[in-house]
Amino acid sequence: MATRTLTKGLLGLRQSRTLFVGQSCGGLHFSTAASVEVSPPQADSISEEVLKKPDFFHLSELFSLKDLFNARVHLGHKKGCRHRFMEPYLYGCRLDQDIIDLDQTMEHLQLALNVTAHVAYRGGVILFISRRRQFGHLVEATAKSCGEYAHTRYWQGGILTNANIQYGPDVRLPDLIVFLSTLNNVFQQHVAIRDAAKLAIPTVGVVDSNCNPNLITYPIPGNDDTPAAVELYCDLFKATIIRAKDKRKQLELVHRPSTPSAKRS
Amino acid sequence: MAALCKVVSGVGSRIRLPSSRLLGSTSSGSSGRDRPAAERPKSGFAAALDLQSELQRNAEDSRFPPGQAETFASMLRRSPLIQMGPAKDRIVFGTIFHVVQDDLYIDFGGKFHCVCRRPVKGETLRRGSRVRLRLQDLELTARFLGASSDTTLLEAKAALLAPLEGSHGRESQG
Repeated sequence: MATRTLTKGLLGLRQSRTLFVGQSCGGLHFSTAASVEVSPPQADSISEEVLKKPDFFHLSELFSLKDLFNARVHLGHKKGCRHRFMEPYLYGCRLDQDIIDLDQTMEHLQLALNVTAHVAYRGGVILFISRRRQFGHLVEATAKSCGEYAHTRYWQGGILTNANIQYGPDVRLPDLIVFLSTLNNVFQQHVAIRDAAKLAIPTVGVVDSNCNPNLITYPIPGNDDTPAAVELYCDLFKATIIRAKDKRKQLELVHRPSTPSAKRS
Repeated sequence: MAALCKVVSGVGSRIRLPSSRLLGSTSSGSSGRDRPAAERPKSGFAAALDLQSELQRNAEDSRFPPGQAETFASMLRRSPLIQMGPAKDRIVFGTIFHVVQDDLYIDFGGKFHCVCRRPVKGETLRRGSRVRLRLQDLELTARFLGASSDTTLLEAKAALLAPLEGSHGRESQG
């Protein structure tokens, strides 16, 4: 244990030596304790190791095409409800009902879950939003079970844009917003999509064939009306976030056994 | 009993019936027990079962070569929703997943559920009951004057039919 801390300290000194090369006097190099802590190798490995692989958390094993199909994710609304910008995501139209292309959905879902996992890994605040009253309780329960937040009630205008006045100074805004349904109760786009784009908060959203996918950073084309589909999404997001948080705890124990982890309050 | 013993051994069951020794016929007596079960020639039901299961396995393998998962296109083509065709006047089975006094919310496998009024003799219908429906529409939508897109009710329309085992029940409109 003592030798490990000694080598850690020496490595830190070596790094600081290259930085302070101009300030050496007579071959002696001085460095304060603060400069040693600036970039210890173990902090890099925790935050940079995850970025080296495309699917670090193995999220592709959480879902399959068959699961999406059985949960009726490919069913869209009728042809008359179609949004023009959803046309690239549609497989076709069968007897006036739009069918969403599940091959594209698989790719988009993989990207979205990956982003969610990375945000959760770094201790980010994730907010689930859905104005569907049928699934309000399910979304709130999902958020609670993975230790994140949910907003399934009426959205007051300035929740994000006026947060400092409505909630007090220095309020922490979400780092990622996940929409289980991007429409509100009058079939208009949810205000939070526009507000998140204004505040540069990345969004993940399930877009049905009548939704506008424009402002959503990681859209997931899929059904947002059937309980089976929404339960599948909730289970996937919950599993992703829990997996990412567990991985973080595991890697912190491996790399920093003595120092306590910097958890968010 | 001798035929039953052969079926059990043919299907590959590991459980040895102790009574087979006593009740087995003389032809499949000591000579039959000396040879292992796999070498005995199968006949009757056992042979037919083996043949049919092998045919089914070959059919499955030729459809999906090993290592290649089923594509979305083939899953869609074979799905009951597509095979059904137009939804008008099709008979389907649904399950009641929510009840509000006289309104039954029934899920039949489509995108939306349908809401039907409880029939006069429908006191036994509750959450989890399986019912028969005649579908009218998979999604109730209409384009109103001045609107840019259809207005949808987020519901399907179906009529509740009488249960199969009962005689001449009354239909209830959805």
